[in-house]
Amino acid sequence: MRLAQSGEEAAFEELIRRHQQRVFGLVNGILRRREDVEDVVQQVFLKVFISIKRFDLRAAFSTWLYKITVNECWDYLRKKKVRPLVYETDLSEEQVSRLDGVVSAERPPESPARRAETKDLLDQLLNELPERDRELLVLKEVEGFSVQELAEMLDLNVNTVKVRLFRVRARLMDVYHRRVGPQPNPSAVKGRSKTDGIEI
Amino acid sequence: MESKFNQGACSEFEALLEDHLTGDLSGADAKKLAEHLESCAACSSALEQAAPSVELLRTVPATADPGPGFSRVVMARIRAEMSKRGEQKSIWLPFISLAWRFAATATLALAVLVTFDAVRHSQYGPQTNLNYATVTETRDLFPDPSSPPANRDEVLMMVADTDHGKH
Repeated sequence: MRLAQSGEEAAFEELIRRHQQRVFGLVNGILRRREDVEDVVQQVFLKVFISIKRFDLRAAFSTWLYKITVNECWDYLRKKKVRPLVYETDLSEEQVSRLDGVVSAERPPESPARRAETKDLLDQLLNELPERDRELLVLKEVEGFSVQELAEMLDLNVNTVKVRLFRVRARLMDVYHRRVGPQPNPSAVKGRSKTDGIEI
Repeated sequence: MESKFNQGACSEFEALLEDHLTGDLSGADAKKLAEHLESCAACSSALEQAAPSVELLRTVPATADPGPGFSRVVMARIRAEMSKRGEQKSIWLPFISLAWRFAATATLALAVLVTFDAVRHSQYGPQTNLNYATVTETRDLFPDPSSPPANRDEVLMMVADTDHGKH
């Protein structure tokens, strides 16, 4: 880090290599399948390169990097005035049965092509969620950011993040039921508490 | 349309419900939630409503690593950007330098003028004005005897002055 701060290009390149996947995930999670993801990621690292001398070594580099990334994404969305896509058409019967298969306990193994299709269908559902809540859910569940990381990069309380996540999950399922049909198989709805003997 | 399931979830248990769904709940908190769920139908329904989202979202793959070449692409862009900035700086550098010189000269000239004016005022300014005022006032009261009288009053004054000398 000190070498990168002193302007050593090789050290900075190593920093990029270490963090590029997470930054890509973060940008992709916020912008969602936009063609400018790579450009925004490059812009993030350029900003980091310019301002790395001001970074306080006592702080966590990843938190600082993620904050810059989130701000860059929001700037991008503001500049482009991007509005989330709204899918007005109903899902076909085949699409419904595929999504039903995803949430049911007896899910058959899917081919990569089918998985891609399912992802497209899920994208349609996710697009109906409020932008900021959708970001939280995707970053947590898809890109694997922890609640702590999300709270730090978004300047939120950890508890607030958890509450918002829980609410947006219910909202996603609400959209799902509206588009797909009734409540899925309850056997798929089991909790994951670590305490022995407690099953909800 | 809002979810009929989630409207009744107890706000103080929502964070625990989220932890439970992601498998991050253990110990006393897990026990506390389990006891609460036994007696709270609203929270149980909310949990039932939200739980399938875990499976649903698991089907979405995380963003793949852009690969080892990406860092080189970024470094190339950084170098290009930095050299562009350097060039932009060097294009404007002579103009900036000239502008600074102009500014410095103008400031110096202004300072000299202000100092000169201040010194001039402190030496002559107020006294000259005072003297001028005194002369003007005296001239009004006692007009110059060698000049012809300007009006009737001055004529009378001259006559009186002459008579006074005779007595």
